[in-house]
Amino acid sequence: MVLNPRNEEVREVTVAREQEDQTFAAGAAISQTSLWRDAARRFAHNRGAVIAIAAFVLMLLYVIIVPWVMPYDPNAVDFNLAYISPTWAHPFGTDEFGRDLFLRTALGGRISIGIGFAGTVAIMVVGILYGAIAGFVGGWVDNALMRFLDALYGLPYLPFAIITLAIFGTVNFWTMVVALTIASWFTTARVMRGQIISLKENDYVRAARAVGARWYRVLFRHLLPNTLGVVIVFVFLELPGVVLGEAFLSFLGLGINPPKSSWGSLAQDGYTQYLSHPYIIVIPSVAIAWLILSAFFIADGLREALDPRTQAAA
Amino acid sequence: MLKFVVRRVLWTIPIILLVIFMTFWMMRAIKGSPFRKSERAVPAAVLANLNRKFGLDKPWYVQYGKYVENVATFDLGPSLVLRNQDVNDIVKQHFPVSAQLGGLAMLLAIVVGVPLGILSALRANRVTDYIAMLFANLGFAVPSFLVATLLIYEFAAQLRWFPTNGWTSADTKVLPVITLSLGPLTYFARIVRGQMLETLQQDYVRTAKAKGLRWKRIVVVHVLRNSLIPAVTAAGPLLGFLVTGSFIVENIFAIPGIGRYYVTSVQGRDYSTVMGITVLLAILIIVANMIVDILYGFLDPRTRDART
Repeated sequence: MVLNPRNEEVREVTVAREQEDQTFAAGAAISQTSLWRDAARRFAHNRGAVIAIAAFVLMLLYVIIVPWVMPYDPNAVDFNLAYISPTWAHPFGTDEFGRDLFLRTALGGRISIGIGFAGTVAIMVVGILYGAIAGFVGGWVDNALMRFLDALYGLPYLPFAIITLAIFGTVNFWTMVVALTIASWFTTARVMRGQIISLKENDYVRAARAVGARWYRVLFRHLLPNTLGVVIVFVFLELPGVVLGEAFLSFLGLGINPPKSSWGSLAQDGYTQYLSHPYIIVIPSVAIAWLILSAFFIADGLREALDPRTQAAA
Repeated sequence: MLKFVVRRVLWTIPIILLVIFMTFWMMRAIKGSPFRKSERAVPAAVLANLNRKFGLDKPWYVQYGKYVENVATFDLGPSLVLRNQDVNDIVKQHFPVSAQLGGLAMLLAIVVGVPLGILSALRANRVTDYIAMLFANLGFAVPSFLVATLLIYEFAAQLRWFPTNGWTSADTKVLPVITLSLGPLTYFARIVRGQMLETLQQDYVRTAKAKGLRWKRIVVVHVLRNSLIPAVTAAGPLLGFLVTGSFIVENIFAIPGIGRYYVTSVQGRDYSTVMGITVLLAILIIVANMIVDILYGFLDPRTRDART
């Protein structure tokens, strides 16, 4: 017989809810944060998610701390040190110019992860605004906005990112963020609209309206805060896409250029010499995979923790 | 049903017009005049002539109308950089290669990914499932340029089983197709697994079990059918995957396809080619989405009213 892996957890949660009901019956005060505390407890029980968050934090610490403590200059050229295989002094070895790759990967990570986070924030802001307006206003506005979204849905982001960069004419941190955001916010907007619409049907929203709450109070006090769980999950779902997009663009030579480096441009650098020194492309690629996998498992853990009953398609 | 199909088909027309319009505006935002950026100074009279030749002296709505008209008649205009070559020629030359690459990758992804997802769901939370899902997650997270490089390094450079690049004989196609299929493959595996697990929880499966049907029959008749239908909708995002992936794969394996040519055109500022290819890819995806929706409407009648 095949068991739903979540059955047990659901039962556990039900038990927890029953206990809560009992405390309520006994007249004890209900903690306001019970939902989040509940979620945190479930998240902590999910071994994969905990490992993922540890891996994620480890990567952040690596890119933040290593450039401070490493004694090398990331751009100094010294051909005597070229192509040193990984040693204690150079944990990831050196490249063709004798530059330390442990340091350069950390610096590249700062740019890649920085673009990743900035892009994710931009996606969230645009997606939430668009989705919330559509869902909240409803009617023909909703219809028009959604039809427009339908038109854009499924379009590949890479060509549009490339054109956007061509419009700017220069490639830097912020133009990369805009380019990677411009065709990536559609899913977030759709999901947000769905959230707002289903929340709108709740009795507490009707009650708020009934006692005369203004629309902005309903939206900002009752609707948006309740989408926070979904938003947090989506942050970790969108982050991998942006990081990967940056890597693809830079790998194709259309993104971050020397002397600046990102994981994508480091990989491109390694690709030109993969036959003689394959480790140079492996290192930044593994860093990318590390970040993507940990973000993905965090998102998965959060989704289960925040809503143990539903299982959204990944 | 006929009404649904007609409505869905008609609906793609404004969508395509809108996407062409957006691409058109984006290209105008880059261009200004494509000839101003050339290295040599162009005399004013020549510039005016060039502008007239490419219709750039007309107001934007005339240019847009002309462009839509051209796209509708399958004419993507002349290349701005390659003299005497039309974007049509470029597409005709490079698109079949990309289509073959994408088609083969999709085929491999379905043939391997779907059974992997089924197997994984039927063995949920056991060793088989863990191994399959580890593979699926790695395939999703490891960038395709690393996969391609490692494949070339091992099977082309070391073992010499396959050539390192090109797109001619069958053996040149093995490594690129494997690389490109990895993303869609793992996506299929995860979608199918998720759907299967959900279906296995349904009441009708329990009923089937209760009335004593054999497990094999339940899986084949009740579970598979209801799980694989939703997987059809995955085809939409998958096409996007393939387009993105082909940019990388075609560049690494030096395959003369659309993705490789696109990157070359951007670098060479050949904007009419860039625009033509972008519009073509967009139309392709919009039409594919339409086909998926209609197919889904046939397979699952409940969705007909919900979708336009």
